[in-house]
Amino acid sequence: MRFKMYGSFRCRMVLLLLFLLLDCNFSNCLADTSSEATTHTNNWAVLVCTSRFWFNYRHMANTLSLYRTVKRLGIPDERIILMLADDMACNARNKYPAQVFNNENHKLNLYGDNVEVDYRGYEVTVENFFRVLTGRHENAVPRSKRLLSDEGSHILLYMTGHGGDEFLKFQDSEELQSHDLADAVKQMKEKRRFKELLIMVDTCQAATLFSQLQSPGVLAIGSSMKGENSYSHHLDSDVGVSVVDRFTFYTLGFFERLNMYNNDSLISLFSSYNPSMLMSTAYYRTDLYQRHLEEVPVTNFFGSVMEMIHTDSAYSLLSRKESFRVEIKMSADKSVPDKKRLMDNPSDLDQISELNIEDQHGALKRIWSTIQKEMEKVEDVDAFVSYGLVLIVPLLAVSMWLTW
Amino acid sequence: MAEISESPGETHQISETTHKAEEPESDFDPETMRNSKPGIKRLILTLSVLFSFLLGFPFLWKSVEIYRAPLPFREIDMLSAQIESNPLLFPCHFQAIFVGFDSKPSMTPDALGSSILSQMTKLTSKPPQCGTCSTNYSIAVTVDSSLGCIQTRNLEDTSSWRCGSMGTTDFSDDEGVDKALADSLGGKVYSVVVVHGDREEVRAVVGKYRHAWVVGRVSEAEAVARAAEIFVKVFVNGGKEEGLIHGEFMPVGADGKIVLSFNLLNSDPQDWVYDWDFQSIDETLLSPVIEALESVANISVESQVLYHTPKSSFSHWDDEQESYIFSTKDLPFFVNSNEWHLDTSIAAGGRSKILQIVVYIPSARECPLLLQLPNGEISKTNGFISPMWGGVIVWNPKDCLKDSESQHPLRRTISQQDLQKVFEVVMGQFRQLFGLKSNNVYVGASGTSSLLASERGFTEWELDVLSRQHTCFNLHSCATTLGSLSRLVQSLPRMIIMDEIGKQVMYSLEAATLARSNASLGLYDSSAVSSRQARYLAEDAFFHPSIMSVSYYSFEHCFAVYSPFFLPVSMHVLLAALREWRRYKQENKKYLAWKTKVKKDS
Repeated sequence: MRFKMYGSFRCRMVLLLLFLLLDCNFSNCLADTSSEATTHTNNWAVLVCTSRFWFNYRHMANTLSLYRTVKRLGIPDERIILMLADDMACNARNKYPAQVFNNENHKLNLYGDNVEVDYRGYEVTVENFFRVLTGRHENAVPRSKRLLSDEGSHILLYMTGHGGDEFLKFQDSEELQSHDLADAVKQMKEKRRFKELLIMVDTCQAATLFSQLQSPGVLAIGSSMKGENSYSHHLDSDVGVSVVDRFTFYTLGFFERLNMYNNDSLISLFSSYNPSMLMSTAYYRTDLYQRHLEEVPVTNFFGSVMEMIHTDSAYSLLSRKESFRVEIKMSADKSVPDKKRLMDNPSDLDQISELNIEDQHGALKRIWSTIQKEMEKVEDVDAFVSYGLVLIVPLLAVSMWLTW
Repeated sequence: MAEISESPGETHQISETTHKAEEPESDFDPETMRNSKPGIKRLILTLSVLFSFLLGFPFLWKSVEIYRAPLPFREIDMLSAQIESNPLLFPCHFQAIFVGFDSKPSMTPDALGSSILSQMTKLTSKPPQCGTCSTNYSIAVTVDSSLGCIQTRNLEDTSSWRCGSMGTTDFSDDEGVDKALADSLGGKVYSVVVVHGDREEVRAVVGKYRHAWVVGRVSEAEAVARAAEIFVKVFVNGGKEEGLIHGEFMPVGADGKIVLSFNLLNSDPQDWVYDWDFQSIDETLLSPVIEALESVANISVESQVLYHTPKSSFSHWDDEQESYIFSTKDLPFFVNSNEWHLDTSIAAGGRSKILQIVVYIPSARECPLLLQLPNGEISKTNGFISPMWGGVIVWNPKDCLKDSESQHPLRRTISQQDLQKVFEVVMGQFRQLFGLKSNNVYVGASGTSSLLASERGFTEWELDVLSRQHTCFNLHSCATTLGSLSRLVQSLPRMIIMDEIGKQVMYSLEAATLARSNASLGLYDSSAVSSRQARYLAEDAFFHPSIMSVSYYSFEHCFAVYSPFFLPVSMHVLLAALREWRRYKQENKKYLAWKTKVKKDS
């Protein structure tokens, strides 16, 4: 009898808690209103490989392939932050010393000349990653290790490694959690460190990493949905390990046929992923992104197209006497119309179909899933947690009272 | 569970022993009364344990406390609110001098002043933009005619205009006039001198200082319109269309520094190798510019010569021009970031701005390399800029001849004259990066004025405009940065805030207040300097390396760490004390009941 009473009491408390939470959600909609019409002036790329050890060869190969691609499409080295958690090229097990390949045909050495690794080995930590994103460095950190973007920057953030539900593992010892990532992005937005940000993640359950993002101007694509794994593409029997992941492999396949003059849109990249080839479902989140993906060329993130303005006239310093021969001919200074690029193929919109497979494993599971869904709607996590803490005290008291 | 409460048997025993000694047990109910005082030993014990717990609590609290330097949140909010609500406007003083308007008696200074004022208000953009002059202009008017000299009286800043001093001036020499006006007028007042002359052609010239003059046969109304336009469009807005500069045209780093990196690129050293005498350029031409811009930015200069730096766009041969042509369409691809290793600066700190100035020498294969504009013309400057990045100038060697016989490449130096020309384009680009035009002419509604160029690269009035705009921008940036910082700090209550951050915020606020007060006094330069300081300190505080949300755990974590140690024990202690207290009260009641009974009986 008493236990029943206790049970119903707890139920009521939970209900009360839910009501309280519903209340707090409304007060939490602080929208970022500072969306100014700044033009896109430069491109940056942050490429991160987070795993150590020889059997994770493919993650380094993934990152180096992306590095090569964005460099080929015009992002200069000084605007690429490359983080590699291990040095496979110099690993004792590497049959091809000082070389890294992303294909078993060994045609392309990714570790050739001009590879500038900014953070290497044990420098690749969650902390350093956040320092790069938020710009909070010690004074002695050189410019090449900093992300010196401004409010006109487009940033590509590519990460690969081993991940899980809402986390990405760094170096086998730490993890980057989705809310940490969202927090860092929010701080970047607050300080206007980017205009648009494309987050691309190749890891298991990559989509879960974006769940907490809330800053406008962020576009995210992940290799797999929640509960799915991302698989490697193929094994190189010479090297002895897998050399590339599927998602990255098909991304590179898309970019190999492009040069910096091309203007394929982001949607054509995003829709190029075939779930049966990937063996996972590429997921992209666009609700924070204002522009239509059909209108955005991939070179807006993966390349660097600078806005150029012609200089009409020199400033005559010394021939001042001539200056009063007034030249009224005003050449209109037109900026180079690189923005108005027409899309070639705007219509291949075979969106990745959403898989809504309902598990029919009995009522208990369904209840649990509805609870989980409810929980996902909860925005104000902090308040939720603190209510939980407050709830601990009466629960403890009651349980002690009962066991007395 | 331990049986703490007194067992009924025990009480019974006690009552038995007591009642044996005294009264008969006729109506003594051991359930409701007792005849001895209840012991308080156990109560004291439990309470003392509880109290020691409570005493220890402040120590625990203190030991897990986090040091947070107090930040002036209220002041930060106030600064943001002030800057948001009323845009920063500077007081500006104007002076118009009319020389040689003899005939009309209607030309009283006061009437002229009010008509100029009404014209100026018409020209001013309606919501006053940040970094311009406040709309209640003060205008002094002097009418200098053969009849005498009349001035508006109501103004305190009376000009040092000497009447009749303009009589002998030769207006064909702009430099001379400018110098003479600067000597006679001086000061911080923007002046327009309108000289009524015989010449049919009306010429308006804006000088290097803060003066302009209009010479020719002008009517009174025309003179007023001209003066008003020069005041508003040139002196206040800097000859640009829009008053407000956007962030993208603010090529000053967050620490108030610019590094000008000059690069001479020899695209193919097999053909020729050019060098330059950068030292002399730096000393003679650059240093005055850097000095002039001192209030706006702290500029340092470096230079390098690079080889093997092909451009990444293509050009084609044009028979008509007899040269290779690249068009503006190709400009975005001109800069070859992978081969041009421009960013070599070690001197530049993390948050300084580097502006690249690139002088590109094409290879012999595409030697006269010219830039074609969209309208088919050939660019005069052969240069272009990228906002916030810098500029590129293509410089073609004379004749484009190479000695095909010699194995070794030619080593030549760019001649002084060529270098000077290049430098003039550089200056144009630099001004363009700052948002200023360089074509030495302003075309307004009421006519064209030519602008004299200063050998310092920026004229006095342009520097004023820059100072005002940068003050405004810096203060805005400072306020938003501090606002973001305060929001961040308040959202992370477990974050350590070092004293340094507190100090930086305080100094930043002080500098911002100083900048605002200087601005209201009309001290453009010093307000620009202190606003730069304010922005720099605010950025420093925001980007302090000790602020990292990952390295701080929240209160929930702290609770979770300590609660397993203390929560179960403290619950027991608390409940035991409560229970003991209840028992004592109950027993005491029994004793009191017995006492009253005894009293009643006796």
